[in-house]
Amino acid sequence: MSGAVTDTVDRITSRRDPRFEVTLYAYVGVEGAHTLDAYLERGGYDAARRALAMEPGEVVDLVKASGLRGRGGAGFPAGVKWSFMPPPDGRDRYVVCNADESEPGSCKDRYLMEDDPHQLIEGMMIAGHAIQATTGVIYVRGEYHHAYERLRAAMEEARARGILGRGVLGTDVDFDLILHRGAGAYICGEETALMNSFEGLRANPRLKPPFPAQAGVYGRPTTINNVTTLASVVHVVAKGADWFAAMGTDDSKGIHHAQVSGAVARPGVFEVPLGITYREIIHDLAGGPVGPAKAFIPGGTSCPLLPFDDAHLDLPMEYAAMANAGTMMGTGGVIVIPQDQCIVDAMYNVVRFYAHESCGKCTPCREGVATWLPKMYQKLLAGLGTPEDVDLIEDMVKNLRGTAFCPLADAAAWPVQKSLELFRDEYEYLAHHGTPMYPAKDRWSA
Amino acid sequence: MIELQTARPFFEDKPELLQEILGRYPDYGRRSALMPLLWEVQRAERYVSEARIAEIADILDLTATEVRGVMSFYSTYHGEPVGRYHLQVCATLSCKLAGADQLTDYLEDTLGLVPGETDAEGRFSLQKVECLGSCTTAPVLQVNDTYYERVGRADVDALLAAMKEDVLPEPARVRAGDNERYGPAAPAGEEDA
Repeated sequence: MSGAVTDTVDRITSRRDPRFEVTLYAYVGVEGAHTLDAYLERGGYDAARRALAMEPGEVVDLVKASGLRGRGGAGFPAGVKWSFMPPPDGRDRYVVCNADESEPGSCKDRYLMEDDPHQLIEGMMIAGHAIQATTGVIYVRGEYHHAYERLRAAMEEARARGILGRGVLGTDVDFDLILHRGAGAYICGEETALMNSFEGLRANPRLKPPFPAQAGVYGRPTTINNVTTLASVVHVVAKGADWFAAMGTDDSKGIHHAQVSGAVARPGVFEVPLGITYREIIHDLAGGPVGPAKAFIPGGTSCPLLPFDDAHLDLPMEYAAMANAGTMMGTGGVIVIPQDQCIVDAMYNVVRFYAHESCGKCTPCREGVATWLPKMYQKLLAGLGTPEDVDLIEDMVKNLRGTAFCPLADAAAWPVQKSLELFRDEYEYLAHHGTPMYPAKDRWSA
Repeated sequence: MIELQTARPFFEDKPELLQEILGRYPDYGRRSALMPLLWEVQRAERYVSEARIAEIADILDLTATEVRGVMSFYSTYHGEPVGRYHLQVCATLSCKLAGADQLTDYLEDTLGLVPGETDAEGRFSLQKVECLGSCTTAPVLQVNDTYYERVGRADVDALLAAMKEDVLPEPARVRAGDNERYGPAAPAGEEDA
C-alpha cells in the first residue's frame, strides 16, 4: 500500500489478546458518560490540547503514521485525505463529519454519538486544527434524534466552557461546529451528496473532480470523515500512532467495530482489532449462529455475501482480504443469514432498499435499480417467474456495474450478482416451482 | 388554496427561533437553513403544508417549487398530516431477520391500518421504513422521534396501550455487545493520556 513499512512487531489481531483494550467504545452504554463533566474527568479534551500545541502538519503526519483508514466503508487513509487540503488562502475551510450512517447492518456511529458525543467533538477539533479549518459540520441523519439532542447539548456545554468558539481551550485557535440534520436519504452518505444536502439542495451526488478538498461545502476547501474515523483520531493523538498501528494487519491497522446482526445468539457492537477473523467475531463475540447459517454479509448490505464455511470464517477482517474474496469490509456490519431464509427473499429486501434510496440522477440506476430489479424480484417471489427471468436479472446486474455516477448502483448490483453465483439453485427452484425452497417463517421471537 | 390566504405564518411569533436557525449558517450559506426550517414546521404540525412551503420559500428567497423539490427528495418530510403517533417499522434486512415482517403484520392487524394510512381519529399512522441503524438491536419500531429497540409482542402491546392513553413511554435504550459487557463495569477514571 502507501509505502507502509512492514515491521516485525507482533500485532494484535484478536480480542483474546490480553494487550487489547476497548477504547472508543469504553463509555458507550455507561449511564451519565455523555456529559462534559464526565468526559473531562476521564481525561477528555487532553488530546485536543496536545494536538493544538502541535503544528497542523505534525498532526497530519501523526495520523498518516497511525495507518488509520476511513471507517465509513471506503477505507481511504485519513491522514492522506487531510493532506489533500490546499494551503490556506483566506477562504473559509470546513471539516465535515459524515454521521449519515445508513448502510443496512451498521449502527456503530449512533451509539458513539448518543453515549459519548464529546469524543466526536474532540475528534472534530483535532481534525479542524490539522487541516486549518475553523468550522466543523456534523451532518447527522434525521432519524437519529437522540444522537442529535445529545450532540446539541454537548456543543452547548463545550461553548459555555470555552472548548468551542473563539480561542478554544485558551489557545488562539478558533473552532466551532454546525450541527445539521438530514431527513432520511441513504445517498447523503455519499460525500458530495451530503454536501449538496447540507447546502439545502436535493442530495444528488456531484461530479468529481473537483474533490471536496478543492471545492467542497459552499465551494470551499473541505474534508469529510466518518464519525468513527474522527473519534479514532482522538486516541491516536492521546496514545500515539504506534499504539494504533500495533493493532491490525499491514493492510489495515488499528481498531474497528464489528456490528453483528441477523441469526446470532448475541447480536451487538464489538470493538475489535483489525485482522480478527470473522469466526472470532461471529462465534466468540456474538455467541455463534442460531441454527445452521448459510451466508454472511461482511460489512453492510452493499458488500456481497460470503458462504458461511470454514474457509470464509477464517478470513481476517481487513480491507485487502475482503477485496480478494470478492467483497468489502465496508462499515463492519456483519449480517448472518440463516439456512432456512430464502435467499431470493433476502436479496429482494436488499434490492428494495437500494431501489428506495436511488436518487434518480443516472438512467441505469433509476431504470435498473429503482425500477426493473425490484419488479423482477417481485415477479419471482409472486411465483410468476421463469428461468429466463433469473438469467435476465443476472444480465441486468452485470450491465449495471460501473455505469452510474456514484457507487449506489454497484451497491445493489454486486450483492445480487454474488447471490446468483452462490445460491442460483434457490433462484431456479423458485422459478420452476413458483414457491421458495425455504418458505417464510415467523422470526419475531420475543 | 384557502389555507394560503388565511394561515398565520408559522414563524411570525417565533422570531428568535427563526434567527437562531438562520444564524447557524454563514451569510453565503443561507439556503442551508431550508432543511431545519422544514423540520421545525413538521415537528409542530406533523406535516408541511403548501402555505408553509410558500412561507419558507419567502424567508429564504427561493421559489415554492425549489422548496417542494428539496422536501420531496427526502423521505421523512410529509406533505399530509401523519397521526399523533407515527409508527415506523424498519423493514430492512437485519430487522427482517429479527421478525420485522411479523411485527408489521401484527401492527396492521391490531391497528386496522396498512402502511401509509392514518386512522380516522388521527392518533396512529403506520409506515414501513428503510434501515434505521438499529441492526444489532432489531427489530426496531420508531414512534415519532423515539426508537423502541428489540421490541417483542408484549412491548408492542404495552406501547400501544400507553399511546391510547396519550403517553409515549421512555424507551429502554437497549445496548448490546460491548456496551453490555463493558458498560456497567467500565472503570471510573481511564488513565489520562
